[in-house]
Parts: sequence; C-alpha cells; structure tokens
Amino acid sequence: MTIFLDILLCFGVVLAQATLSTILSAKGIYPDLCLILACVMGFYSGEYKGLMIGLTVGLFQDLFSPGGIGLNMILKGLAGALAGVTTHTFSTVTSPAILLVTFALSLGCGLASLVVAYPVVDAPILFHALSSKLLPQGLYNSLLTLGMFWLVNWIGPSLSMVHLGRGPR
Amino acid sequence: MPRPESNFPISTSIRRVLGVSFILFLALLLFLPRQSQEWLSHVGGPFARILEAPLHVVASIQNSIRHAWDHYIALQNVWEENQQLKQEIQRLQGEQNFLREQAIISTQFQQLLAYQQTTPMTTLPARIIGRNVSNWYRAMIINKGNLDGIHPEMGVITDAGVVGRVVRVNPTTAVVLLLSDPNVAITGMIQKSRDEGLVQGTPQGTIHMKYLPPLSPVQPGDKVVTSGLTEDFPRGLQIGRIQQVTKADTDLFQLGEIDPIVDFSKLEAVLVITSFQPALPSSLPKPIVSPSP
Repeated sequence: MTIFLDILLCFGVVLAQATLSTILSAKGIYPDLCLILACVMGFYSGEYKGLMIGLTVGLFQDLFSPGGIGLNMILKGLAGALAGVTTHTFSTVTSPAILLVTFALSLGCGLASLVVAYPVVDAPILFHALSSKLLPQGLYNSLLTLGMFWLVNWIGPSLSMVHLGRGPR
Repeated sequence: MPRPESNFPISTSIRRVLGVSFILFLALLLFLPRQSQEWLSHVGGPFARILEAPLHVVASIQNSIRHAWDHYIALQNVWEENQQLKQEIQRLQGEQNFLREQAIISTQFQQLLAYQQTTPMTTLPARIIGRNVSNWYRAMIINKGNLDGIHPEMGVITDAGVVGRVVRVNPTTAVVLLLSDPNVAITGMIQKSRDEGLVQGTPQGTIHMKYLPPLSPVQPGDKVVTSGLTEDFPRGLQIGRIQQVTKADTDLFQLGEIDPIVDFSKLEAVLVITSFQPALPSSLPKPIVSPSP
C-alpha cells in the first residue's frame, strides 16, 4: 500500500511538473518539483526513503523528458539520498540547513543535466546557465523545499495512513 | 305554559303596523334626494369618527403585517430564486467558456486540417498535453505515440511552419523537442537567395542559422524555409525570418539570427509528419472525426 501511494505521489508530481510548470514559473525559472519531492522526503524520512522516491520520480521524469532515460533517475535518487544523509550530520533539520543542502543539490543536478543536455558547454554557455538558470533555480528550489518540508512536518503526523516514514530526527 | 305578561303591553296589530312603517321608512330613505342622505350622514358623522380610530389602527397593523410579509418572508423565496439564478449563471458561464474553448480548438484543428489536406504529405494531428518536464530542454508532450504510428525523428509542424522534432515515443504520448532547443538542428535555406545553412537553437532560446556562405546577400527580413536535405522535413516549410546577420572578422561563415514563424509558447495543436507521400483518400477523414481525442 505504501509503495502504491509513493508511486502515485511521484506520478502526480511529474504530472504537475508537465502541466503546472508555466504557472509556477517566476521570470522563466521553473522549479524542479521532482527534485523538491526527493529532497523533502530525504529530509523528512531519511536517506532510504529519499533514495527510493528520488529514483521513482526521476524515472517518471525521464519518460517524458527528451534526454536519455536514467539521468534524472540517478540524479534525483542521489539528491534524495544525500538530503537524507544530511539529517545525520545535523542534530536537527533547521531551515538554513535545508536551504543550503537543497541549493547545493539543485546546483549539482543542474550542472550534470547541463553537461548532458547541451551539445557543447563552453565558458559563455556555462556563465549564462549559471546566471540565468542554475543559481535562480537553486534558490527557488530551496525555498520551495523549505516550505514543503515545514508543511509536511506540520501535517505529517496526521497523515499516518500515508506512512511518510519515521519523521524528522 | 302561560305566557309572561309584559310591563308595557302592546297589541299584536300595533306591532305589525310599527314593523311595516319601519320597513317603509327604510325604503323611503333609499328614494330620498341626495341632500336628505347627506343630512343623515351628518347625523351619523360622530359615530363614524368614533369608529375611524380603531379602523386606522387595524388597517395600519394589517399593512405592517403585509409589508413584513412582502419584504422579509416573501424575500426568502426571492433569495432562494436568486441563489438558483446565480448557480444557473455560473453553469451557463462555464458552459459558454467550454464551448468557446472548443470553438477555438476546433478552429485551430480546422486550419490544421485544411493545411493537412492541401499539403503533399501524410500528417497526423496531435494535441499538446504538457511542457518542459525537464528544465534543460525546450520540449512539449503530445497526445499521440507509438500506437498511433509516431516514431522518433519525425518532424512536427503547424500550418504556419516548423515546430520541432519527435525525440521520445511512449505508447500514447511523445516528446517533441522544439526548434529553439540546442539539440535540434535542421537544414534551412534563404528563400530569396537560395543559400543553405544549418538552423539550430541556442541555450538562450534563440534560433540561429549557421554556416551561411560569406558572400550570401542575406538581409534581415528574408524568409527561411526548410531545404529538404534532412529526412524529417520536406523542402519549403517556413521556419522564420532573418532578424539579424553577423560575421566576425575571424569567422568563415555568416550567422543569421532567426525570428521563428511559430510562437512556441502558444501552441496547442500540431501536425506530425508521418510520411512525405500523400495520404490515401480513405485515411483522410480519420482526423476529421476525432480531432481532439
């Protein structure tokens, strides 16, 4: 049942990414909802749940993405797992920690995608991508992740049927 | 039983006379002139004044009750009716909006269909159902896939011009990479001068025409069309217009910046080129029946 709900959640997020991205865009910057989901689950439920959700949502994202299958799956899985690992590093998951870690993960995933997506990545392209996409998107992703994390933290205990995991440490 | 004796005994005949006289008097009153009736009304005036006050009170109470009924109790029905009418208006507005939307989509599909019937190739109409799942590609998702005969590398167009290329196919959906993505490159041609080049998107989202001959007389405003050298687009489909031509001293070729003819952000329906051969007549009506499944 839990697996089924997780898959449903991942599918819903990919659907939202495909249909609501234009609504959620701020000056042409789209939030990566799949990355946000993986990170939130990692922060809230630990590295295993983050990894599994990240792999699933990444696979779904790959199915509707022009790039090769596997890239988003690996990146989102890693992001979820790393977000979970950071909860071991910090005694409590604080807002600055979430912002910092998500920003770093978003930047890393973005750079990896950039290298794979663009045929040639030279200095001007890298500078343009950093200034116009990677950094603003990292900030946007981390803010949304923080908001989603606190939302899940707030309503999570009442969602016992969803089995979000063992909760924040 | 003996009848009790009255204090003022009046004989039965006198009673009869008095009764008949009273009736005659009343009958006479009806035939008296108006002045005499007015005299009678003057006589009855004080009695009428005495009755006037309670009549006013009763009438005002009655009016108040009727007023309250009309404005408060009866308004309850008006309020309910108003709510029903508001719901009806909302429903009709929704219906109107839906029909307007359907009409617009229908118009778009009719345009595509008209183009589909005139163009000498086989195309399949498709509807756009999603965009930009990944942040690093300019792509959209269409509602036709493997089961409809869509394959990777097929060209995607509208009645205006070139849109992009199919890059991933699922059973019922397909991912189309737009012409403004750096991963899409098609061969183009300046319509006036017939000079060929490579049309490719850039990371910034613009479209460039590379490798234009250095002596080409290309000018801003010149139309760019497909040259037909690649397998996905036939010759002559419009791509856009040259917006700017640049050539650095160290460059061998000219570089043209293209203003695309298709507004990628407002696309709702497209045609996928399935074959360069014209469709058989029997297969033509199929998209007419279900333009937006």
